[in-house]
Amino acid sequence: MPLALVRLGETKLITACRVKDEMKKHLQDLGFVKGEKVEVLGENQSGMILLVKGVRIALNKGLASKIMVD
Amino acid sequence: MSINIALAGNPNSGKTTVFNEITGSKQHVGNWPGVTVDKKEGTYKKDRDVKVLDLPGTYSLSPYSAEEIIARDFIVNEKPDVVINIVDGTSIERNLYLTLQIIETQIPLVIAINMMDEVEAKGDTIDFNKLSEILGVLVVPIVARKAKGLNHLMEAAIETARNKKKPNNVQVFDKNIDSALLKVEQLLEDKSPDERRWKAIKLIEGDEVITNGLSDDTIKQVNIIVKEAEKEADGDTEAKIADLRYKYISKILKGIVKKSEKGHVSNKSDKLDKILTNRFLALPIFAMIMYLLFAATFSENFLLIKGLPSPGIWLAGLVEEGWGALTGGIESILSNAGASDWILSLVIDGVMEGIGAVAGFLPLVLVLFLLLSFLEDSGYMARVAFVMDRLFRHLGLSGKSFIPLLMGFGCSVPALMASRTLESDKDRKITMMITPFMSCGAKLPIYAMFAATLFAGSNKTIIVFSIYMLGLVIAIISALLLNKFAFKGETSNFIMELPQYRIPTGKSILIHGWDKVKGFAIKAGTIIFVSTVLIWLLSNFNFTGMVDMEDSFLASIGNAIKFIFAPLGFADWRASVGVVTGWIAKENIVATFGQLFGGIGDEATIEAISSGAQALPEIRDVFTQVSAYSYMAFNLLCMPCFAAVGAMKREMVSWKWTLKAISFQMVVAYIVALIINTLGNLIF
Repeated sequence: MPLALVRLGETKLITACRVKDEMKKHLQDLGFVKGEKVEVLGENQSGMILLVKGVRIALNKGLASKIMVD
Repeated sequence: MSINIALAGNPNSGKTTVFNEITGSKQHVGNWPGVTVDKKEGTYKKDRDVKVLDLPGTYSLSPYSAEEIIARDFIVNEKPDVVINIVDGTSIERNLYLTLQIIETQIPLVIAINMMDEVEAKGDTIDFNKLSEILGVLVVPIVARKAKGLNHLMEAAIETARNKKKPNNVQVFDKNIDSALLKVEQLLEDKSPDERRWKAIKLIEGDEVITNGLSDDTIKQVNIIVKEAEKEADGDTEAKIADLRYKYISKILKGIVKKSEKGHVSNKSDKLDKILTNRFLALPIFAMIMYLLFAATFSENFLLIKGLPSPGIWLAGLVEEGWGALTGGIESILSNAGASDWILSLVIDGVMEGIGAVAGFLPLVLVLFLLLSFLEDSGYMARVAFVMDRLFRHLGLSGKSFIPLLMGFGCSVPALMASRTLESDKDRKITMMITPFMSCGAKLPIYAMFAATLFAGSNKTIIVFSIYMLGLVIAIISALLLNKFAFKGETSNFIMELPQYRIPTGKSILIHGWDKVKGFAIKAGTIIFVSTVLIWLLSNFNFTGMVDMEDSFLASIGNAIKFIFAPLGFADWRASVGVVTGWIAKENIVATFGQLFGGIGDEATIEAISSGAQALPEIRDVFTQVSAYSYMAFNLLCMPCFAAVGAMKREMVSWKWTLKAISFQMVVAYIVALIINTLGNLIF
């Protein structure tokens, strides 16, 4: 399911990043790789705050809906 | 022997703090050619033969952003004697991803594990010796904020540079990728062995910049190898390589990092984020902080106490007073020495006033940037950008555009400089083009003059307020239009690391703020100075020599160009001259009008007109209510003062783009004033 639907406080595993080349590369550089754990730390109108590899990352809803988790 | 050291590391890893600590005051901040990315160079404070360069903060050496291209080109092409990689010990796993890529270039390397105090506070331990052994590089624990471990770090760096010690050739990849790498390396025989390996990895990652440097034939062969390798890499070698790097890091860290608790423990930053990025609280809190920031810089009635100047205004007053005294002193020395009138006028009205215009801005710029540096270094600015993103996305801009636009209501100069924090080139340019539409403090006297003279009565406040709103509305429309027609590409997604909240050190804020002010004073200062002297020449001379402004070149120019303004409702040479003198500083329009319309030369009367306390009835001969409104709108929107143009040039790093922005503002000003004048005359 898309990361955007994950509820606050839940931890999921990344299965795919359905974005274009450059953004995909950047996501990888930030630790968004297949099988990586991602925890939803916060949520607001702009998007979500995630915890990936021990680092807080904020992203907008649009991008969060293109990252698939399980 | 001189040694060149480059600092590399993730954003927020404390790289700049390390740089400031090891170079002390001996540093130089410039720009990398052609981009607005700071280039900081300095020398080691304990050994002047050691040069230190602070590379931009990057997550990777792939060409995702200008910063990453700069960092990798420097490491690969300029080959520093040693790279110091600053690693945030609290997120060592993610930070080592960049480290592995630096190791791939086989440049001599030293790793500094920063923020060790926070690691220890959590009860975690890191086995530096083991990490050092595996990677074949020296590893030094440091606490940059407290200047701990830096001597040891520099000793390690100098030793590594002297020995030219390369890192271990670590085995990160699997059989499939390794065999593909070997095949690609064979195609690159003309390159040196280290370069071959690095380029081969980049080619399999599908790096376009490296691919473009090859012959068509080689590209074809590389593509075949990559296609072959993809079969065993789930169809994506690039993702596979990233995955293998992270797997390798996890594997080696298992025996190196010992955590006291499993999983993520909610800490101070999480608690603050619950409030500061909260769905309902985030915006009100932000509005309050911005109000304080703004008030501390520009307010004449700080904290709502009447007559209490803010630190910014207070400092600006001091500088102005000092400058006035200095000018007076020079004036009396010159006249005592028997200097001719024109020399006196050149020095006092031209040179001193020109430099004074710059000097008067500096305290405001300084205070604003010190406060902004505080917010930035504390980690709050990253949250602001995130919280504002939703709103600005509707305009096709990023949340990070908010700060410059808000600051534009105070002064365009620091506002334009603040646009530097936007990474997207498109967002930065659009933001800079519309920032001057936010009515700055210097434009208020113009409105006050017209309001007192032509709109006397109860609607004065509404007139002034409506001009501010007009600027805002035009800025929003411009952003939408520029996004739709002038710039390609959709609005980029928002993704940003939110660093831990930290109380910034006074030293880092001062260095941060001082850099900005120095840069402004030098670059914008030159442009302001030259233009002020030029306008002085034009307004005091004609072919016969020195004359009054009525007979000067500027008056002739005013007469020659006034027809342009006829459709806007003010075809008068004095009004045209006002537009021109407004480019030195917008509040100059009042002084120009006072002199040209009323023959008023004394400061006190001009002050009274500027504050709206006194009217200037003579302008009623030329202006109606409608044409006055059109004139105000035109001066609000047309080219900002030279100081702002100087700042714009500095931030855009291109005369072409600066001219494009000015032209855009001129056209917008003309169209808006034309509409106001035409519609206004139909209605009233």
